[in-house]
Amino acid sequence: MAEKPRLKVPKEAKKGEIIELKTLLSHVMETGLRKDAAGNIIPRKIINKFTCEFNGKPVFSADIEPAVAANPYIQFNAKVDESGTFKFTWVEDDGTVTTTEEKITVV
Amino acid sequence: MKRSILASVGVTAAFAGAIAIATVFSGEAPAQARKEAPLYLQGAASVAPWKRYSDWPQRDMSKFNTLAKLASPPAPKEVRKLTGPVTGDAANGAKLVADRTRGGSCLACHVMGQAGNADLPGNVGPDLSEIGNAGREDEWLVNYVSDARVYNPETVMPPWGTHGLFNEQEINDMVVFLKTLKAPAKFRAVLDDPTKRPAPIETRDNLDDLQNPGMWAVERAQDLWKVNGPSGSSCATCHANTAALKTWAVAMPKFEPRLDKVVSVEEFVYRHAKATTGADWLMQSNENTALAVYLRFIANGQIIHVDTTSPGAKAALARGKELTARKLGQLNFACLDCHDPAKGGLKWIRGQWLGEQKGQYDHFPTWRTSLQSVWDIRKRFQWCQVNIRADELPPDAKEYGDLELYLASVNDGLKMSVPGIRH
Repeated sequence: MAEKPRLKVPKEAKKGEIIELKTLLSHVMETGLRKDAAGNIIPRKIINKFTCEFNGKPVFSADIEPAVAANPYIQFNAKVDESGTFKFTWVEDDGTVTTTEEKITVV
Repeated sequence: MKRSILASVGVTAAFAGAIAIATVFSGEAPAQARKEAPLYLQGAASVAPWKRYSDWPQRDMSKFNTLAKLASPPAPKEVRKLTGPVTGDAANGAKLVADRTRGGSCLACHVMGQAGNADLPGNVGPDLSEIGNAGREDEWLVNYVSDARVYNPETVMPPWGTHGLFNEQEINDMVVFLKTLKAPAKFRAVLDDPTKRPAPIETRDNLDDLQNPGMWAVERAQDLWKVNGPSGSSCATCHANTAALKTWAVAMPKFEPRLDKVVSVEEFVYRHAKATTGADWLMQSNENTALAVYLRFIANGQIIHVDTTSPGAKAALARGKELTARKLGQLNFACLDCHDPAKGGLKWIRGQWLGEQKGQYDHFPTWRTSLQSVWDIRKRFQWCQVNIRADELPPDAKEYGDLELYLASVNDGLKMSVPGIRH
């Protein structure tokens, strides 16, 4: 994975506020349906799972299918009641796991 | 008057790292000898000998004009006389006018009734849906398809016959088909009608890294900036303060006397890095493109203004302007044929919008959503040529420098916004 994951998470929020989180990971998302010039199937290589946890508790997760385009961009909302850390995880077909974290402070 | 001189001096001074500007300042400020930026002056700045990208069409178009040489067959001087009425197979003609394997098909430029199911035709040429009622002679139609230049030297229509895209019988078949066209086209959807199709407007925020993956090149370049090259130094060794480069890129490309050619940001990056850090960042390598994006990114929001007054720049500009009118390749298109609003500019070629020259430079290098990669302007030039069935030149070609200087001068006054985002 050459590129770092992209995140947009507010640094601060009010207690109980619903915030918007944006995530994007650079990935080819090869469907496994295409053929190369020689007519051979290009093997499937996608991110098949994305999860987001806050202080160890699940917030959001998604099973991703081959129909999702390259560089999957996932946007969702979460309610924050306390300061803490969001942990984002992307799982690839070959088992590669990419994780990144972002802190948020409740003011 | 004085103010405008000062304004242009300000821009000149900003990129003075590379050129001596002592004379410009005489009388205004103490003459200050600026050191020329070190440049590696030997050899090519791109892969040499240049080899076309393996996933681009590999046809050999050496029999036709390029930006560097004239080779195309001459236009016929006289109309080819027909001995009798034209005969052919209208059904085959209907197939040929929609055949996209030989130069994009007639529908790329003409609405032609129900030909090709009236699926996304273009409007560079006139609507031919009722050409069968126009009372045209067979001879006129045959000659027009074969080589329209016998009637109109200014035409943008490819010389299908003279340049060997269709043979005589195929042209006859198409003419027989054209004579059957007697009713306006019926479009299945409004957007199929090129006169009703709205011009595309790019609304994405190209500087948002969640919307534009081209922005990742900026991060890559910031890392490269600090990596020591073989000489033990990095970009940051001399350019720790990148804000000092704020207006450098908007004054590029520029004529470089030491190389006797116009040098773009990309060529400068290669030759300057090679001479200083020792890095080998050939044009169109990932590193080169990332740096080229970054150097312009630093200059975002600044006004594009290139030097066209030095004798070398003046001559290059004149050559560049002339090249925009040169007919290239098997399809025989000049830059202006597609990008001058008086010709094909601001019209549709199939489902693709042909932009005018202004607005085609300020966002390069640009992220291409359809190709998932960043292209600099030289790669765009190359693809234009391969697309119109001409052989491209290497990225560092002198002719591209002339053309880029001209294009930059047409875009003078626009704000830089790099990396762009386009289809």
